[in-house]
Amino acid sequence: MIFYIARRLLAAVPTLWAVLTLVFVLVRIVPGDPAVAILGDRATPAAVAALQAKLGLDRPIWEQYLTFLGQSAQGDFGISMVTNRPILADVGAVIPHTIDLTLAAMLIGIVIGIPAGVWAALHRNRWIDVLARMLSLVGLSFPVFVSGIFLLLTFALHWRIFPVIGNANLSDPGDRLLKLVLPSITLGLVMAAYITRVTRSSMLSVLDEDYMRTARAKGVPWKRVVWRHGLRNAGLPVVTVVGLYIGILIGNSVLTEIVFNRPGLGKIIVGALNQRDYTMLQGLMVIYCFLIVVVNLLTDLAYGFIDPRVKHA
Amino acid sequence: MKFRHIALAAALALAAPAAQAAKTDLIVGMAAQDVGKLDPHLAVSTIDRTVVAWLFNGLVRFKPGSMSPADIEPDLATSWESSADKKVWTFKLRPGVKFHGDYGELTADDVVYSLTKSADPKRSASSGDFASFEKVEALDPLTVRITLKQTIPSLLGIITNYGGGFIVSKKAVEALGDKFAAQPIGTGPFAFAANTPNQSLELVAHKAYFRGAPKIGKISYRFLPSNASRDLAFQNGELDLEFGSQDQTWIDRMKKLPGAVVDVFQPGEEAILHLNLAQKPLDDLRVRQAIAYAINRPEILKFQGPDASRTPGSVIPIGNLGYVDAGLPGYDVAKAKALLAEAGFKDGLTLKVVHTQLPNMLAQMQVVQAQLKRAGINLDLQVVEHATFHQMIRQDLSAIVFYAAARFPVADVYLTQFYHSRSTVKTPTAVTNFSHCTAADAEIDAARTEPDQAKQIALWETAQKKIVAQMCAVPLIETLQAWVRKDTLVYGYDLKGSLSLGPLITEQTHFK
Repeated sequence: MIFYIARRLLAAVPTLWAVLTLVFVLVRIVPGDPAVAILGDRATPAAVAALQAKLGLDRPIWEQYLTFLGQSAQGDFGISMVTNRPILADVGAVIPHTIDLTLAAMLIGIVIGIPAGVWAALHRNRWIDVLARMLSLVGLSFPVFVSGIFLLLTFALHWRIFPVIGNANLSDPGDRLLKLVLPSITLGLVMAAYITRVTRSSMLSVLDEDYMRTARAKGVPWKRVVWRHGLRNAGLPVVTVVGLYIGILIGNSVLTEIVFNRPGLGKIIVGALNQRDYTMLQGLMVIYCFLIVVVNLLTDLAYGFIDPRVKHA
Repeated sequence: MKFRHIALAAALALAAPAAQAAKTDLIVGMAAQDVGKLDPHLAVSTIDRTVVAWLFNGLVRFKPGSMSPADIEPDLATSWESSADKKVWTFKLRPGVKFHGDYGELTADDVVYSLTKSADPKRSASSGDFASFEKVEALDPLTVRITLKQTIPSLLGIITNYGGGFIVSKKAVEALGDKFAAQPIGTGPFAFAANTPNQSLELVAHKAYFRGAPKIGKISYRFLPSNASRDLAFQNGELDLEFGSQDQTWIDRMKKLPGAVVDVFQPGEEAILHLNLAQKPLDDLRVRQAIAYAINRPEILKFQGPDASRTPGSVIPIGNLGYVDAGLPGYDVAKAKALLAEAGFKDGLTLKVVHTQLPNMLAQMQVVQAQLKRAGINLDLQVVEHATFHQMIRQDLSAIVFYAAARFPVADVYLTQFYHSRSTVKTPTAVTNFSHCTAADAEIDAARTEPDQAKQIALWETAQKKIVAQMCAVPLIETLQAWVRKDTLVYGYDLKGSLSLGPLITEQTHFK
């Protein structure tokens, strides 16, 4: 197992290098100059050139690339071109909020999505199934900025249970939880919709399998057949979707973060892109890529637990 | 029963002083992801400018609530005098002014350091304003002398509480280095306390402030980029003051909220179409005139709403020193079509225009597009992301540039930056002359060194009329700043204007 993890992490190195190179090139291809963004619209070309020199943007591109690669390899992401703050400190300050939101949304998605998917599959084409499919379609179709504002209007403005500004005090668990409820429901419902649909179709394909019929013929109670034999075998596609979706959640939580005024990784990425903050963007992309690699690895490891036939040699 | 009585009495006893004590924590909602640079010489966005105005002072300042050059009054300097030719200025500093934290008292060295830094393009975004400075010297710890290479329209305007005029602590900048932009040290009524990235900037009262300890104890400047959620937070009582929108529906909606006051104030940002004289067919005056006649300003005002907008009368904003009603062409589609036909475009023409995707600017441009269409002028809009737009228009890639801006309210600044040939884009001295206008170079230059103010103003007026006659630019609309506050928040002055684009929070600001 340890060898497997080490091999996977080692295999991630070329991926990370490719991403680093791509990010380095992409942020420089996009039109827009960080020096202009920093100095504003009144800056003369002389002032822009002076700042470019100070930021090191006038150095040959290969020199900038090698410096960037060297620093990244040492885990040094430098300081933000715009705020002059260390990038890791900025990311470190918001990442607990992103992890909170991602995990809570995933939990809500699993708790609602898996039972709803199983239930719908067991009652195929009956009203429960139709209802589950309809609701999941609604969940997928509703943009988070609409459902989020709706939740705020209802639970923050009308009933005044939750605050509108969701920047939680991390050292206060009560405050952290209070400010997590609405955003995680908003994002969790979308995830639940995905999981419901995948679980349903996965279960449907399993329900007609011979081993299910054999188990029932042997007199195994129906509930046990469904949960032990059915769901376990239907679980692999669901885990794949959950794993993939965690990656999407981390990056795509930006709208939820903006609507609920929460700090987070997605919000920093958008800010850095608007400001053409090259160093911040590069640092964020590396961290984001690393997170995706780790999540994918965890997903692969989870296969082994669900289905012992998947070996991690 | 007895317990309930005791509990009630205790609750009342606790609540009574709380009810009497006025709130001292101010929570401000800003449309921002984060602050950028809080070094006042590098603060260029509205987000940063609003805050640095609470942290720093200049040698002189605009009276709070005003941005009229006539209202400039002493700030860190108590008095000043100038030589007869207005080239040598001597300032006496206020004694005993304390910097935030442990950075000691203000001396002439700090002023020399600050103004020298402001003039350095590597450390300042306003270095261009200081091009006429020859030297800044400390005559003694409380006296500073500024020597100019040539007379300029308003020295006091450059050293006011705005941009490069802010005075920083030499000791702090040298000690903190690049970190100064994140941990600023000034002399203003509020001091930097903490910045939580992506969440908020926290300020505390500078108790040793030379005008007296501020009545507000803490300011929490929250970064809330979503307009809808920021409004909801204000409506829910979670914000005391909020950055708003010039949009009429926003103003109407906020005005209806109980206990809310909408403040609309100067400066007016003038939106102007800059017509690129270096590109065909806009090198033909008749085509430029046709565009001007096709623009229906009252209709644009109706679209934007009247509360925070007004119709411009010249190529510089209303209220600038030297502004004159320059006689802009009125709406006349028939005349526009006739001019186009005369120029050889009887069947109309198409212009390629680069424009930003920022919603408000895009909506206004779409109104312009529809108006020009009536005269047979098609705008082929290339809509790009905002930073890309800024780069492309500086590379001279657009036939027409829609640009909205407010500047220091003296005609020279706007005229020089937008209409002087020295400021033409893609030249070594470029600023924002997108039209390649050269119509009034002589008047703009002559006015800058004219010692007689009446003659100076006359030159600026002539310059504006010449620019309009050459149709380098077609003004569209002026939009003012709009914020909303709780009616319990009292600024302590009458808010008519603020160069920082946000309300000043002074030592007098308090809650009722």
